[in-house]
Amino acid sequence: MDSRAPKAPDLHPARSPRYDRLTPADCARLHDASLSILERTGVRLHDEEAVERLHGAGARVGDDGRVFVPGPLVEWALSVAPRSLTLHARGGAPAIALDGDNAWFGPGSDCLRILDHRTGERRTATLQDVRDGLTVVDALPNMDFGMSMFLPSDVEPAMADRHQAAIMLERTTKPLVLVTYDVDAMLDAIAMAEAVAGGPEALRERPTIALYVNVTRGLVHNGDSLRKLLLLAERGLPALWIPVTSGGTTGPVTMAGNVALNNAGVLVGVVLAQLVREGTPVVVPGFGGDALDLRTMVDPYAEPDHRGMVPSLAHHYGLPMFSLAGGSDSKIVDQQAAADASLTMLVDALAGGHLIHDSGYLESGLTGSLAQLAICDEIAAWIRAAIGPVEITDETLALDLIDQLGPDGSFLEADHTLAHYRDRWYPTLIDRLGHSAWQARGATTLAERAAVRVDRILAEHRPTPLPEDAARAIAGILERAAAVPRSAPQP
Amino acid sequence: MGDEIFAAMRQSVIDGDAVAAAALAEKALADGVPPLDAIEIGFVPGLSYVGEQFGLGELFLPDMMLAARAMQKAIAILEPEMARQSATRKVVGRVVIGTVKGDIHEIGKNLVGMMLSTSGFEVHDLGVDVAPDRFVEAAREHDADIIGVSALLTTTMAGQRTVVQALEAAGMRPKVKVIVGGAPASESWAAEIGADGYSEDAIGAVALARKLLGTDAASA
Repeated sequence: MDSRAPKAPDLHPARSPRYDRLTPADCARLHDASLSILERTGVRLHDEEAVERLHGAGARVGDDGRVFVPGPLVEWALSVAPRSLTLHARGGAPAIALDGDNAWFGPGSDCLRILDHRTGERRTATLQDVRDGLTVVDALPNMDFGMSMFLPSDVEPAMADRHQAAIMLERTTKPLVLVTYDVDAMLDAIAMAEAVAGGPEALRERPTIALYVNVTRGLVHNGDSLRKLLLLAERGLPALWIPVTSGGTTGPVTMAGNVALNNAGVLVGVVLAQLVREGTPVVVPGFGGDALDLRTMVDPYAEPDHRGMVPSLAHHYGLPMFSLAGGSDSKIVDQQAAADASLTMLVDALAGGHLIHDSGYLESGLTGSLAQLAICDEIAAWIRAAIGPVEITDETLALDLIDQLGPDGSFLEADHTLAHYRDRWYPTLIDRLGHSAWQARGATTLAERAAVRVDRILAEHRPTPLPEDAARAIAGILERAAAVPRSAPQP
Repeated sequence: MGDEIFAAMRQSVIDGDAVAAAALAEKALADGVPPLDAIEIGFVPGLSYVGEQFGLGELFLPDMMLAARAMQKAIAILEPEMARQSATRKVVGRVVIGTVKGDIHEIGKNLVGMMLSTSGFEVHDLGVDVAPDRFVEAAREHDADIIGVSALLTTTMAGQRTVVQALEAAGMRPKVKVIVGGAPASESWAAEIGADGYSEDAIGAVALARKLLGTDAASA
């Protein structure tokens, strides 16, 4: 999309000071509350090894199996957990650093439906939609990492996650966040990534993927998630450890209690990973504190109330985080979708949300749209321009020029203008035409222009193909997995 | 007699005011209002109103819960007298609900259960990760009219079909109706697996259950 030559990746783009929703005292109080929950209420872990490891490190196990994690153990884990995680592009070049006040954007995973930008139809998603989605992610200059976007319906359900991983690795060179149902699928996805990276060692040294582990709720951790975390820690691969607590249903409806409860579960993951292997990267949530909309029973994606809270807490810990912004509760690519995406992405970028996912989500995460994704890309570019540092130098102050031209001078022809006009940000989808020019070009809406861009990318963009041996290895992994009978309920 | 007290009863439920509802139930007993009338003419219309307004997106789920709580408080006071008069409230229907085997998602299923019970259904919630045979057993045990099967994942939704098949094998179809819900389910999926209906949300599930039992009109 960008006609200029690609810049070398800047792992720490300069930016304006961070926005913190919480004060250090707020964070300390929430942290203490989480420790108190772990010591007083305990957590239910559906995996024996996880319980054993915590027990062996001094956690008490109650008669009903609840695990009570002592505060000093948590403090130890927080002191040894890595403060930074760098994800790499295919080929091993560092691409994005999850630390400091960085903000990287990407789509979400597993939408059941797509709002087809060609027809406007809302339909179940297919493998081709995953391919298209990743192709668009690969082409968009402000999407920094990839996720699956869609859950394909035209493949055996138990194999869908493996197919997603294969397509993601094939269609983009950008770092990836992978989601799998069970442990076996995760191991297959890792094997695919290893084939592309050049082996387990290479993948560990220069990870191109992070594994998204979704945990039942703050104080209940399902067996699959725990086994995934322990395995990832053993292999030294980055886990996104994301318990989800829904205010008013699985946690307090008040944000403070909800975040304290969920954070207790987050801390358990940090402890477990460090017990397995000190220095294992664990990415913690940069979102949470949300609640079901108790009028509509929908789990909203763009509510304002809690925004910025959890990023503050993650910064307080100094841990890499996975944030949530860019998704909309709107059903279509409309004014609300643009507002939801803009506002959430802006706050999370200001808050330094590190890995910020869910660009392109509509219908509260159930439907995805490639046109909306292209709009989010433009919003990301706008935000980057808005939070960038302001360069104040002799050259940019231009005092000599001001004096030379005097109070009545015209700056338009000045060499200084010709040298610097490109420094300003120009939109690529947002309209700034005069009215008659806008009319002459079809009087289009933002959504219409975004759909045209998606079409153009799909027609023109050719992602760098995988080396043949890697492609063959991935095909082999898929084939072997397809031959194994799955435990999913048979029709 | 009683129009005024019935209106007050209705309002106490709408306000979710358990103290007022209890006081009105006591007053009904003292004034000789038949307890069944107090419930059916007084309190129930209040709950129906709140349910309607919730369905329209005007009121919140907790408003429904507060209303149901106020009504339960009143019923608890009226029950001894009802028993003395051998009067019984009619149950709208008996429903067994649960999330399919292999699936641990519960929020949607819990909401459906809550909506059904506040709407006058007798609800038996089997929880999550429920084997098909458990659905069959529970349906038999509670003489269920309807079984509600929830699934959130595309990998587990096939379990909804298994429940329909298990009920068929047990000879309980079509007497026992099956309704399905969850993000991957749909109208056409319900038809494909031989279920009796699908609803996108908890409010719709109540309407669907009423329709299947032929009691739609009873809600007014």
